[in-house]
Amino acid sequence: MPILEVQGITKRYGGLIAVNNVSFSVEKGEIVAVIGPNGAGKSTLFKLVSSFVPPTSGKVVYNGQTITGLPPHEVARRGLVRTFQETTIFKEMTALQNVIVAHHLRCSASSLGIYFASPKARADEVSFRDRATEILDYLGLGAVKRLQARNLPHGHLRALGIAIAMAAEPKLLLLDEPFAGMNLEETDAAVEMVRGIRERGVTVVLVEHDMSAVMRISDKIIVLNFGLKIAEGAPAEIQRNDAVVEAYLGRPDDELGH
Amino acid sequence: MLLNGVVLAVNYALIALGITLIFSIMNILNFAHGQMFMIGGFVVYYLYGLFGVNYFASLVAVVAVLGVIGWCFEKFFFQRMRKMATREENSMLLAVGTALLLENLALSFFGEKQRGVPPVVSGVFKIGDAFLPAGRLLVMVLALVLIVGLLLFVQYTKLGRALRALAQDREVTYLMGVNVDRIAALGFALGAALAGLAGGLLMTVFGINSGVGTVYSIKAFIMIMIGGAGIVPGAILGAVVLGFAEAIGYALLPGSITYLLIFVGLIVFLLFRPQGLMGKPWG
Amino acid sequence: MDQATDNRCPATAGEAGGSLFSWQALGFTGFLLLVFVGVPVTFGRLPYFITVLTNAAVLSFISLGVWITFSIGRMNLAQGAFALVGGYVTAILATRYGISFWVCLPLSGLVSAVLGALIGWPMLRLKGVYFAMTTLSLTEAIRLLALNGGDVTKGATGIVNVPPPGTIWIFGRMVVPPFSSADPMPYYFLAAGMLALGLVAVWRLSNSRLGWVFRSLRQNEDLATSIGINVAKYRVMAFSLCCFMAGTGGAFFVAFQQNIYPSTYTVADSVNFLLYCFLGGLDYLFGPIVGAFLLVISFELLHAIQDYQALIYGALMIFCMLCLPNGILSLRLRRFDGRRNPKA
Ligand SMILES: Nc1ncnc2c1ncn2[C@@H]1O[C@H](COP(=O)(O)OP(=O)(O)OP(=O)(O)O)[C@@H](O)[C@H]1O
Ligand SMILES: [Mg+2]
Repeated sequence: MPILEVQGITKRYGGLIAVNNVSFSVEKGEIVAVIGPNGAGKSTLFKLVSSFVPPTSGKVVYNGQTITGLPPHEVARRGLVRTFQETTIFKEMTALQNVIVAHHLRCSASSLGIYFASPKARADEVSFRDRATEILDYLGLGAVKRLQARNLPHGHLRALGIAIAMAAEPKLLLLDEPFAGMNLEETDAAVEMVRGIRERGVTVVLVEHDMSAVMRISDKIIVLNFGLKIAEGAPAEIQRNDAVVEAYLGRPDDELGH
Repeated sequence: MLLNGVVLAVNYALIALGITLIFSIMNILNFAHGQMFMIGGFVVYYLYGLFGVNYFASLVAVVAVLGVIGWCFEKFFFQRMRKMATREENSMLLAVGTALLLENLALSFFGEKQRGVPPVVSGVFKIGDAFLPAGRLLVMVLALVLIVGLLLFVQYTKLGRALRALAQDREVTYLMGVNVDRIAALGFALGAALAGLAGGLLMTVFGINSGVGTVYSIKAFIMIMIGGAGIVPGAILGAVVLGFAEAIGYALLPGSITYLLIFVGLIVFLLFRPQGLMGKPWG
Repeated sequence: MDQATDNRCPATAGEAGGSLFSWQALGFTGFLLLVFVGVPVTFGRLPYFITVLTNAAVLSFISLGVWITFSIGRMNLAQGAFALVGGYVTAILATRYGISFWVCLPLSGLVSAVLGALIGWPMLRLKGVYFAMTTLSLTEAIRLLALNGGDVTKGATGIVNVPPPGTIWIFGRMVVPPFSSADPMPYYFLAAGMLALGLVAVWRLSNSRLGWVFRSLRQNEDLATSIGINVAKYRVMAFSLCCFMAGTGGAFFVAFQQNIYPSTYTVADSVNFLLYCFLGGLDYLFGPIVGAFLLVISFELLHAIQDYQALIYGALMIFCMLCLPNGILSLRLRRFDGRRNPKA
């Protein structure tokens, strides 16, 4: 059974169809990339899958259950977590605090228990702190974990965004342009990091413009153009696909692979 | 009744346009708008009512006084706040503070009495089987002229274009070499002057006292909430809705029930359409 | 330096026992001593001054609620409305049904909190100026409701002659003596007690995970949602806590002044609660308390210059805001920052 099945999902904004009847599925343990020119509807697709915006039609099946119509925090609770295209962090907390707060789903204490610092709540917080430290170390943020998040350099901010998502213990992680604004070296490190996330048993779907990274990392690629899925397949197939090449032709700045 | 609605709507539009102007340019909700309205009324009271200055000259004085107040607010208060504040709420809270300052100022200098002025023109027009005092007609026509003038000004003059550019995108306007701070101060002055003018006009119909500031601020808020904050046609629409709702309500219902209903209606309305009638949906 | 930042992490919530001996706790003990021993000994014979302090204490208690809504990133201008609701609940229950003030006090808070949750649920979806404007409308709406409430609220005449709080007996012993309008001292102790309790409660809140969740809502609601935080639930929780404080505060003032009118809390009051927080500093728990005491006391001191009292008060306030746009307490922070965190 695939972990994610998107069935004919469509989103209209007034006259504009941002995502048009898109279907695909993702198997457990895969890394799947969604590519397409600017405005193709990639981010909108992520928002639909994570239930942040309701679809005009179609549905999303996750782990065999339809999650369309559930509130987004509920979807996150079931292990489907997204990151954001724009840098999105809690600016006025330190990196460590960001990740500790993000452990929210793992709280076993009730609100009252938390308020009165019940033994359970205390144990929670101690373990969250350890786990947060571990996640930050793993993502290479150990050295800056006590800095205010707003003061972190850009590369670290993107990693922190992923660290926050990881803290929510996703089974399926949607990464929106995780390598944006990174130089070659940073991208290489980040690619390794995403692989590592998969090794931890997390299925990853990512949107990315950096084609060389996409080609290296993904098991499967889905191509969107003007909201429509125009191709799907292994990286090598996609590179040879005429429709894909055509979609990118008008945009010489987007190199397709090598 | 409906004629009253028109008179109100036109003047409210003046208020709503002023607050919209300030909101769209500075992204500040001018809490002191009603207080500016009230000061405009008092300027007319003193010049025209007490010293017998020509009514139109008094209105010019209103523009001058409120223009200076608005300009100073932006120049000395808000620009400073924007540079120093660590939380974005702080500018909004400063706006609340300025409202209190103006109100206390008025209380200290003008006292608490209700003030009125003799009508500018006398006579009554009969339209259909309704009567419209000439004073109200004058107020309506003046307000209409001002609104049209303002819209033309914003649309076609250089300064107007700069204001619109600023409302669209602060950064870009700055990069284009426009002196953003100066334009913003002028915009604030203009918005304040509009509030004052509305005060100077409605003063001849309803009179004024130091306490009305908050009432008119709230009216201004209602209008922009109905229409959508920062949107010019929305402001006018909001004014029309509020003006007629008020005129009809006051004619049919006892005193304060009208406003109770307006508030309840407004809150329910916002729950379904938080961005107002003409605003863009968020997110 | 590590220690300093650590104190602000939720993980230390578990070590609350340890932080009992922290500076915060020491400061709080000092505060208690001052309020319950220092003030009564010094000003005990000045009923006027005691009355002013009582006012300031409960006003800051109510503003503390507004501070909670600031912590979730909402500018709440409805606090006056909920204080009015709480006040009317106490006034009606006490005059009509003869229910003891000591029952009415928490009950008023509860009614306000439930009402706040009901209204807040949909209203909290609004943000920024929209939320501010809508809550402002709510303050006006509730006032008009009281004005048109017919027999229930007695309209503009208000409800007068509300009995003062009565005696509390426990096992035949008199624990709390009866209050009388002639002596403000018992009211003062009650007000100070409420404030101290409120402070501890909100301090606990803001240092627990709940406080951190609230802060995360202020900083980014979408991100909070994405990590599984039920944003709507916590928003409503914060808002109804805030309303609870408004309700109990309103109930106190009814007992203190023995009357309530629709105009007891107007937009101006809602605005004042906000300004107390702002003046003290939005980022500090003690902000609303510092702000409220300073403004209330300075307003009374300016009483001497009658005519220009309001004017100078307004000017002073603006002056304060401009000099310290992040609140009076930001002065202290700047000093500590220089020492603890030279990098920042
Ligand atoms: N809330 C919205 N309201 C109206 N139109 C929207 C909204 N969100 C997205 N759109 C439109 O939908 C289309 C797809 O947007 P989307 O952000 O999904 O593109 P994208 O593929 O992520 O592009 P990019 O590569 O630039 O991130 C765009 O034309 C955009 O303008
Ligand atoms: Mg995108």
